[in-house]
Amino acid sequence: MSPVSVLAPDLGVAPRARIRRDTATQRPHIPWAEAVARELSALASLADEAQARARVEARLDGLRLALHASPFHARRLRDAGMHPGDLRGLDDLRHFPVLERATLAAHWDAIPTLPTASSECVVVRSSGTTGAPVNVVRDRRDCLLMWAVLRFLLARAGARLPRRPRVVLLDALPGGLEYSVRLPILEDGALHRVSVLRADAAERLHRVRPAVVFSDPEGLRWWTARPELPRPALMLTSAQHLPTALRDTLTRDLGVPVLNYYATTETGPLAWECLRTPGHFHVFAPDVWLEPDSDDVVVTRLRPSVLPLLRYRPGDRGTVRRDACACGFRGWTLTGFGGRGACRFLAPTGRAVDAWAVAWVFKHHALRAFRLTQDAPEGFLLELAGASEPEAHALTERLVAALRNLGWASPRVAVRHEDAAAWSAPAKPQPFRCLVTPQGH
Amino acid sequence: MAFSIPRLREQLAAAPLASPYPHELAVAVICDVFRAANQRPPRREAFVQFERHRGHALWREQVSMLAHVLASTSLREETVKALDTTRTPMARLEQFFQEIEPLTAEMVRANAFRQEEFLRVWIRAMGGALENETPAASKQRLEQLDYRKAMADFRAAEAARKKEADRREQLLQEAARREAEARGWRE
Repeated sequence: MSPVSVLAPDLGVAPRARIRRDTATQRPHIPWAEAVARELSALASLADEAQARARVEARLDGLRLALHASPFHARRLRDAGMHPGDLRGLDDLRHFPVLERATLAAHWDAIPTLPTASSECVVVRSSGTTGAPVNVVRDRRDCLLMWAVLRFLLARAGARLPRRPRVVLLDALPGGLEYSVRLPILEDGALHRVSVLRADAAERLHRVRPAVVFSDPEGLRWWTARPELPRPALMLTSAQHLPTALRDTLTRDLGVPVLNYYATTETGPLAWECLRTPGHFHVFAPDVWLEPDSDDVVVTRLRPSVLPLLRYRPGDRGTVRRDACACGFRGWTLTGFGGRGACRFLAPTGRAVDAWAVAWVFKHHALRAFRLTQDAPEGFLLELAGASEPEAHALTERLVAALRNLGWASPRVAVRHEDAAAWSAPAKPQPFRCLVTPQGH
Repeated sequence: MAFSIPRLREQLAAAPLASPYPHELAVAVICDVFRAANQRPPRREAFVQFERHRGHALWREQVSMLAHVLASTSLREETVKALDTTRTPMARLEQFFQEIEPLTAEMVRANAFRQEEFLRVWIRAMGGALENETPAASKQRLEQLDYRKAMADFRAAEAARKKEADRREQLLQEAARREAEARGWRE
């Protein structure tokens, strides 16, 4: 069975997309995007910790104003006997209350500051692959931020852009959504969303000749199977565990640097995985501050935004420390990053299969939580919280199809409904487990 | 010897959480500080009068908390050294209780910022100085911490938000009315 037959467009679970066509309105934001990249670069090469902290702390002025202007934060701080003026330095943060993901989901419309007409706010919904979906209010610059960060990442990877660069968003999700728009904010380039489900995907990529490709591991895997495709200057992936073998194939065999970054819908980009030392995620300071010496990721966003985030806990695990990395980076680095941990399922043939290859199945399902455990060579247990019977049924069908595609001849998926409250741990659960041991061991 | 906020906080962290002092005993503990500095403490009647005319809902718990902090840290000993005769003890106490008016005992116990504010206001009212800090820096820090000012800011921000929300609501209603009228005209 080919991948196309499994990832058929008629699955129809892709979210409805609204594409902005008034891309000329990006132009006034180009100086801002350049400044963001410049500041990230400046801090990433600043060896002196005291100076780096001072630059980060300079951003607290804006945060204090935003906290005052946010009805939720103002009320919360007042109830706790605090006020935004108490926040004078990074060390003060630990005294402030933590914002849990569930609280953000419940108060998503009270946390933003009152937007102005020029903020051009939109509400986006996180996919909820590994947690409850959250409505997130974003202003225009929140929406454009990745293009600013991309300038910085291109420089880190030593990648050079041609004139009018083409960026491809290579999509392996069901639904087959495709579009093309101009991208003035990145050197007058263009953005093409290309679905691997379409029969002409490779042909389109040949025509587009992308300089930059964004995709998930499933899309990158699809790319590695087609070595004749043009070679971009940089490939980027996020939100999921990136298997080492896949990165090696792209970097070594195709000669394309692959940059894995850590971002959430709520916070925007948080860190990027070092190109020299896998597993080390360098923090995008001074745009965000990830609290050092904690076992959980705790984020304070220091870039101005309609949505002030103070000590937000996205539910991922990891520890941040000051670092002088072999790649030349100087700053704060996240290690032991979890919540999206690696797992390998064991196919009946004995082949180890990256469990995240089936992660797409869970996209766009409003699940409180899930865990997929391989408990027999052909047997899987799917634990679900907060899913209805019809949802669970549809999910199981897709999962069986995906497992067949990966090499299981007759996979069995048993569903067990769990109490949502019992799964409301502060950190995200490890979504994949394998209890099967390889034969001969 | 100057006061040290970190040292006082360390001592307070090691002390029991709640003040064990009932009101009368707490007043006695406070008066004892002035007595140790060879100053005549306020008469009991002065406290009664203060509570009657200028006291507030949190005053008694603040008195109890102050006695607890004085008895369980070096604040008492350092205050005795800092006190001079330029002002009367009651004038100093009146200034202190006026400036910490919105602080609850729970805030002083569990909130790092309000605890610091409580200690700094006491030190200023008693005419003390802080270790490794200029008077100007101490003044600036107290202004940053001032919870009375913060409460006023919260109220002003809330009123401004409400006014803006009302204005937007009115604009929406007017737009809806204009749209409805235009639709009626076309029909």
